[in-house]
Amino acid sequence: MSSSSTALRELQRDLENKANDLSKLQKDIAKNHQVRKKYTIQLGENELVLKELDLLNEDANVYKLIGPVLVKQDLAEANANVRKRIEYISAELKRLDSSLQDLEEKQHSKREAILKVQQRIQAGKAKA
Amino acid sequence: MGKPEVKGTVTSLSSVFPPEEMQKAAKMVEGKLSEKQNEMNQLKEFIADNTSLINLVQKLPDELHHDIMVPFGKAAFFPGRLIHTNEFLVLLGESYYADRTAKQTVEILKRRGKSLMSKVDALKAEMQDLKAEASFFDSTASEVADDLVEIREYEEDNSTERVSQSGPVELESPSVAEADNKVSASEDDEYARLMSRLEELEKEELAAEDEDANANATETETDSDEDELTEAAFHRKKVEGYSSLDHNQRYLVSQPRKQLQQSKGKDPMNEEMSTTYNHQDLTNQLACTGLTAEPVTKGEISRGRIVHQDTKMLNPPVNASVPSEKTSLKQIIHDSSRNEKPVQTPKSEFDSSKAFTGSIIEHTENLEKKLPEQKTTSSQSSDSKPSKPVSRFKMQRK
Repeated sequence: MSSSSTALRELQRDLENKANDLSKLQKDIAKNHQVRKKYTIQLGENELVLKELDLLNEDANVYKLIGPVLVKQDLAEANANVRKRIEYISAELKRLDSSLQDLEEKQHSKREAILKVQQRIQAGKAKA
Repeated sequence: MGKPEVKGTVTSLSSVFPPEEMQKAAKMVEGKLSEKQNEMNQLKEFIADNTSLINLVQKLPDELHHDIMVPFGKAAFFPGRLIHTNEFLVLLGESYYADRTAKQTVEILKRRGKSLMSKVDALKAEMQDLKAEASFFDSTASEVADDLVEIREYEEDNSTERVSQSGPVELESPSVAEADNKVSASEDDEYARLMSRLEELEKEELAAEDEDANANATETETDSDEDELTEAAFHRKKVEGYSSLDHNQRYLVSQPRKQLQQSKGKDPMNEEMSTTYNHQDLTNQLACTGLTAEPVTKGEISRGRIVHQDTKMLNPPVNASVPSEKTSLKQIIHDSSRNEKPVQTPKSEFDSSKAFTGSIIEHTENLEKKLPEQKTTSSQSSDSKPSKPVSRFKMQRK
């Protein structure tokens, strides 16, 4: 029946769309993981720096590399900067975590939808 | 009283651990292992560089100035001097530098070296775990290739009543190996049977005061039959016919799976119970099979697998049985499976003279007759109280 075959084709197109969405979601999730990894490493490094800065004497010279320039910085200022950076990174990590959860939920629901469409296709094929 | 009946199941390993999956799993583990090896090599390089740098930094302040060949561009040098030999600009991380003396620099470097070493140690531990997994896969693969068959035997003391009632039940037990869908009995039917079985078993408990540590037998892969499970749980003998440790694994994993269905919150308890049980069973197994890598494997695997659904090593039958469990008699199954589980682990802690010891976890909603909780751990996750005023179980009597 032409009507059933068009319906079947529609279902298959639907399936393709959903499959594309799913792969996009998976890519997003992978990217999220990567960015999370980067941030985690940076966080670790910053904590190391903080530890070393704490061990410095008050009058030690601290420099910051900004591009090609090594700029002398105040110890207190450097401390504050590093601390702020740590806070920023942790906030970013938390944000990434929540978005990761969202993505995973969406992925899950997409999978279920795909299953349903597949089942309908099977049923359609069985009838025809 | 009937003499002990011995039921048994014979399972071909290849049906449980399909060879292709074993190979796939083995390859995955190998891949991971090689990754870790690369990381380990990199870390070792870092450590070597660090130590050579420490040496250099320590030698530099020996002289006021050093005559050296200074690199100039990509391919040239010119003779020059290294002065201010005690002043070092040390990178602290994240583009922060600090002026330090040689001694202070050495201290910084040493601290870095320590953190590197701790990373190396962590990596080593991971690699060991992976190796244990790999060896397990290899052994099971070889066993599957050898067409080893797993034999399970259950011994039960049968009261006359039980014999009559359990007749139909026991008939089904041989089919447990392949059964995925035996749980098609009507819920009420099974429930009623379960209730009566529980009664009988309670009586048996009283009777079987001096039963030996029978309850540590492995559990069946599938919950094809509720009744069979409960009675097996209560009166299992240690399997003599172990031909492989796989079914240990299965036991470990399938039990946690059942638990998994119930609540995630029980997982920590399950884990520790399964690992403790694991160890005692393992030592027995080790005697049989001589595999020493198992404890690590088991612990790891039970740990790893309990929370996870996508086990590589877990057999399709178990997977299939899990959904079938889920679809039918959820609570009853949970109850009985929890009964099983607590039965076995506490054996290691409690009197082995008790036929049925340990934590019994009940569902208040389903069962009116409760098996009273014998362990606090089991009762953590359940909020049931024995509905019967008289507790017939030893724990409460003693």
